[in-house]
Amino acid sequence: MDNVNISKPFSVIIAGVGGQGIVTLSQLVMSAAWKSGYYAIQSEVHGMSQRGGSVNAQILFDKFPVTSPTVLEGTAKLLIGMEPLESLRYFNLLEKNVSVICSSSPVRNMPIYPNVDRLLAEIKKIEDSLIVDTDKISEELGSKGAGNIVLLGAASKKLPFTNEIWYQTIKERFASKEQSIIDKNIEAFNYGRKL
Amino acid sequence: MKFYEEKELLVLADEAISFGAIDAGVKGVFGYPGTPSTEAFEGAEKIIHALNDGRIAHWAANEKCAYEMALGCSYAGGRALVTMKHVGLNVAMDPLVNSALTGIKGGLVLFVADDPSMHSSQNEQDSRCLADFASLVTLEPSTHQETYEFTIKAFELSEKLRLPVFLRLTTRLAHSRGIVKRVESLPVINLGRPSRIETHNWVLVPGYARERYNYLRQILPVLERAVESYNTLTFGSNRIGVVVAGMGRAYFDQLCRQNEVVRTFTRLDVKAYPLNHEFIEKMCAFCDVIYIFEEDYPYIEDMFIARKKSARIHGRRDKTIPISGELTPAKLRKTLNIECPEITHKIEVELPARPPRLCDGCGHADSFKAIKEAFLKMDIADFRVFGDIGCYTLGYEKPHECIHSTVAMGASVGMTFGAALAGMTPSVGVIGDSTFFHSGINSLLSYATAKVNANLIIFDNGTTGMTGQQRTIFGNDIVKAIEGLGIPKEQIHSMIPLPKYHDENVKKLMEVFKAERPDVIIFKRECVQAAKNRRSATK
Repeated sequence: MDNVNISKPFSVIIAGVGGQGIVTLSQLVMSAAWKSGYYAIQSEVHGMSQRGGSVNAQILFDKFPVTSPTVLEGTAKLLIGMEPLESLRYFNLLEKNVSVICSSSPVRNMPIYPNVDRLLAEIKKIEDSLIVDTDKISEELGSKGAGNIVLLGAASKKLPFTNEIWYQTIKERFASKEQSIIDKNIEAFNYGRKL
Repeated sequence: MKFYEEKELLVLADEAISFGAIDAGVKGVFGYPGTPSTEAFEGAEKIIHALNDGRIAHWAANEKCAYEMALGCSYAGGRALVTMKHVGLNVAMDPLVNSALTGIKGGLVLFVADDPSMHSSQNEQDSRCLADFASLVTLEPSTHQETYEFTIKAFELSEKLRLPVFLRLTTRLAHSRGIVKRVESLPVINLGRPSRIETHNWVLVPGYARERYNYLRQILPVLERAVESYNTLTFGSNRIGVVVAGMGRAYFDQLCRQNEVVRTFTRLDVKAYPLNHEFIEKMCAFCDVIYIFEEDYPYIEDMFIARKKSARIHGRRDKTIPISGELTPAKLRKTLNIECPEITHKIEVELPARPPRLCDGCGHADSFKAIKEAFLKMDIADFRVFGDIGCYTLGYEKPHECIHSTVAMGASVGMTFGAALAGMTPSVGVIGDSTFFHSGINSLLSYATAKVNANLIIFDNGTTGMTGQQRTIFGNDIVKAIEGLGIPKEQIHSMIPLPKYHDENVKKLMEVFKAERPDVIIFKRECVQAAKNRRSATK
């Protein structure tokens, strides 16, 4: 799979809410790009975002040096949404043939949260979109944090990195944890990959 | 391989500075947390702990203290790095400006992170202007590799010029992750103390200071020459010119990859200041039109406008680029009349904003609830509370609506007192413990013997919560510290902001607010995030 366009970098957006693990997920994508021999750059928002506000991370990789850490509107090829409302917030960044992988589980830490079905219907307007019930899958896999890695597994099909690279990246990221945690993450990744 | 031995890194640009300083043989790293600068200190601290080879990483009470510690470290002969955000630099200005007169011994590098678009700041001030004000040199990288290399070069430059050197980043670079290839690490350097003959340089009484000031003003051309090679003017086949610095350069380079026309432009790459006027004159003589892409103030732009002759200068002054807000790839395209990609995915639902909020179970929320209720029970519906900088700034928003100002670190303490002097009663201010020790404590000295109804409420959670739970510089007993300032014991009140003490706290606050004297109230409860971190660390 070699869908990296020579004229512009491959741009990925990860959207969600502070505390959902966006930085971890974006670092995994960034590491996988790096290990696959791409030039890569990733931006993240800190500060007020620690307090449960909107957060997005952007990763750009290319066969040529990438200097802009910011995605130009209308050019992102992949959106990983950890939350429906936040996914929609960055739709202006998406290119026409974008792929969207999005969790259906809302984070309702705000006074009025819109109707979730309406939000999901809006996301489904994108031809190549996949809605993932991360709450249900996390329960199934018996691990609260599995949802993120399941999303990553599903998104990995849209990214030009091999499974070996992904496994290695996940193992290194969780190297300081017990083997059982690494295994659980690999299991979650494989689950997502099959969706 | 240990993390600090890796030769190729995937790091934040902030952390590229950490590694640059370590590889330059830094002796001491000092700072005060402030987004987006914090990770430069933290990265260095992590390596220093792991190396355990006698280097120092020290969070100071505020940026002025941090700068002075760095200057002391330099005096002792060691290389010193000091880190802060742009508004923190205001606090450090006094020693900074004067250290341009004293000069330095060990290389002294000041990393300052500017925050255009104010992602987590109260203004968009441009540190290049303050470096200029102090007659100092600034290096401004635009990639991760440059950030790493410029950090090392900044130490060399500092020792060569015998002056502190600025390293300026803006948010987008500071908080982006990229690739850095390291060079061989230098051992910790010690240049020894200033010699006996040099000591009078450090005593800025008028007799010596005049001499030093004249010297500093005279060497300005030397500074320009010292950084000249960083800046490059490349004549293109096109009489359209661009001047690019910092993120402007990063975005323009990216645009060059995708657009052939812009590659033919004449370009001036600015990576260091002061900028030699000859570059500007040569460029203005050759180009008909010049676009300027820099972050924050039209700093380079104004230099061009002053020397433009017949060239037309487009930037923030003529509103080609909005006067405030960070640059974006789209802003560059619009300025240069390059088409932006079509936005195809328009959405038909309204997306309410998701503002940041206090964490669930945060003690600040209980404190605000008690303060508000005390005012309402005293029949003061339109009450006012001076606020400060930290998580509790969110107390302005619903559902709390309990603070009414946020100006500068520590400002609540002085404003509460000033308003009380002017007749506001009760005058009430709220501040966190880290912000209090940063620069609130000085104003509290005035409370000790005053007879006005000024009430300072300190939210003591033992941490700098907003920037990621750095430990507060002061130990545990804040009450003793306040007693030590001369505030009588009976005017210091400790409370615990937990729901079960709510009624008791409201009653106590009402008593205190009614008393026509200065009072200090301490709401003590651990930060929920810090508690979570503590529990996972001890697991």
